Amino acid sequence: MKKWFDTDTFREILNSILRNKSRSLLTGFGVFWGVFMLMLLTGGGQGFKQLLMKEFDGFAQNTCIVIASSTSKPYKGFEKGRNWSLDYGDVDRLKNMVPELETVSPTVSLWGKTVSRDEYTSSRAVVKGARADYANIETPKLKYGRWLNDADNLQERKVCVIGKRVYEELFPEGGSPLGKRLSVDGSYYTVVGVNWNEGDISVDGRASDSVVIPINQAKRAYNLGNTIHLLCFTAKPGITMSDVTPRVKEVIARRHLLDPTDDQAMFLLNTQLIFGIVDNLFKGINFLIWLIGLGTLLAGVIGVSNIMMVSVKERTTEIGIRRAIGATPNQILGQIISESIVLTLVAGMSAIVFSVLILSGVELAMTTDGMLKAPFQVPFWTAVLAAVLLAVLGVVAGLMPAARAMQIKPVDAMRDE
Amino acid sequence: MLIELQGIHKTYDNGQPLHVLKGIDLNIERGEFVSIMGASGSGKSTLLNILGILDNYDEGTYHLDGTLIKDLTERQSADYRNRMIGFVFQSFNLINFKTAVENVELPLYYQGVSRRKRRELAMEYLEKLGLTQWASHFPNEMSGGQKQRVAIARALITKPQIILADEPTGALDSKTSVEVMQLLKQLNQEEGLTIIVVTHEGGVANETDKIIHIKDGIIGEIEENRSHSAWGGSIIK
Repeated sequence: MKKWFDTDTFREILNSILRNKSRSLLTGFGVFWGVFMLMLLTGGGQGFKQLLMKEFDGFAQNTCIVIASSTSKPYKGFEKGRNWSLDYGDVDRLKNMVPELETVSPTVSLWGKTVSRDEYTSSRAVVKGARADYANIETPKLKYGRWLNDADNLQERKVCVIGKRVYEELFPEGGSPLGKRLSVDGSYYTVVGVNWNEGDISVDGRASDSVVIPINQAKRAYNLGNTIHLLCFTAKPGITMSDVTPRVKEVIARRHLLDPTDDQAMFLLNTQLIFGIVDNLFKGINFLIWLIGLGTLLAGVIGVSNIMMVSVKERTTEIGIRRAIGATPNQILGQIISESIVLTLVAGMSAIVFSVLILSGVELAMTTDGMLKAPFQVPFWTAVLAAVLLAVLGVVAGLMPAARAMQIKPVDAMRDE
Repeated sequence: MLIELQGIHKTYDNGQPLHVLKGIDLNIERGEFVSIMGASGSGKSTLLNILGILDNYDEGTYHLDGTLIKDLTERQSADYRNRMIGFVFQSFNLINFKTAVENVELPLYYQGVSRRKRRELAMEYLEKLGLTQWASHFPNEMSGGQKQRVAIARALITKPQIILADEPTGALDSKTSVEVMQLLKQLNQEEGLTIIVVTHEGGVANETDKIIHIKDGIIGEIEENRSHSAWGGSIIK
């Protein structure tokens, strides 16, 4: 008998869809809009998530940072409002007493320093002292050179890793700055690396604004003594940060004679918690996107079904004639369902194409220096899934009208209009 | 015997049972040119629907070319209709958005004939009916007579055993009516087609060789009309 798909069948379908162009267009628009919203919102939502995640660029997801603050409760003879600072003793103590911690790394930071290359070229920056293992806390994205190493610190070498913005201001001509010497507060440091991180988290200054030097060198150059400004640590894999932080607080509080119930004396920034919040937020947003998108799509499909119903009613005579001259009910069923599938697929596919185009435009607008800030594009398999879903919905939409068309008897064609 | 009807009964049940055919016995030979005449409500359309396998009957037997036509599936009846019977309707029943040649092709499309073959055959039949230059016209660009000739071409293209014509001149003026009847007569004589015309017009019935009168669901008089002299011999009333 007949093949399931051939050009004739397709012509028949196309013919009847194109016969009522404006109606087909309006009907298809419902589906179009549903798919368009779904695709645009999923792509956009994912893009914004990536964009937000970018703010945490480089930060390990299980990092916690301890910052000393003034006490808010009197304790052991001390008045409230006492200022205290973290010191190197805390680093060793934490490492020894909290075995769940992987890396414990101290940093110091000195704000508003002028870094100059020569008398004409200078830049404002944050001078940070750090150890080699700080790379485990905030992973540097090295464009040139290397990160600080343990030898730099032990030998108190005068070397530095500069941030992206500092590099761009001091070396506007581009090229590798490695081996160049920069003056910071009268001391000269040799550039050994450029960190391209763009995270916007500004715990002791953004990476792009910093000049990182070995912490021992910073300690000496700025007479910091035993004081450190921040204490960063990561937990071992598989350990939840929130389970460890109370112990960390306890250890530090005991050492500095802080009231263990004083929540203000010590501030702990737990990035895992923040990542969790962002993650949950986008999970919620995604759920809403799918709810709205699928709802709109469903409304569109019901629209298709409805219009097909009207169209079948209108074509009673035509279908009756076809039946009288030899069309089997299955052929009629096939035709109506195929019409529905084609209508939904064409509308849905153009929506996919259209949303991909728009998202490409967004990506183009978000691209600076040939670097894409965040991918907004709909993932390929989501689009494929959407196309398959559309075909299925097309069949579903066609079912009821087709069932009605099947009931049309050839005699119906013979009745005089 | 091409058509054999025995004791056909048909009752419509729309709330209140309506006994339309009350025992029809009818034989039609191959190559006959017959008309079925009756007033409206006499059951002639129902009889035509049964003959055309468009409708079921309740009692009796209907043999078409030796095959018992009873309790067929929709698929079977569609197949029989497609191969054995050509329909010509009062209101032409052409599909408006298809050209003349596409309309003529349609039965072959449902037979699964390839497009080129279909087009070839359809053009052949249009030529036979003198419609070659109208092939690519749409039905609403044609006159009633032309439309009916397209419909006849469509009925002929499957080389059916029987042509069933339901008031084929009902929507035509008298001049065109004569032409259409002449055409049917010619097809009967030259091709040896069995043609059954249902009508309520005496003039139309007179063009046929045999007139079967049906009244209140029963066959009345069967008039041999070889001389075409019944009803004063003219199609024009």
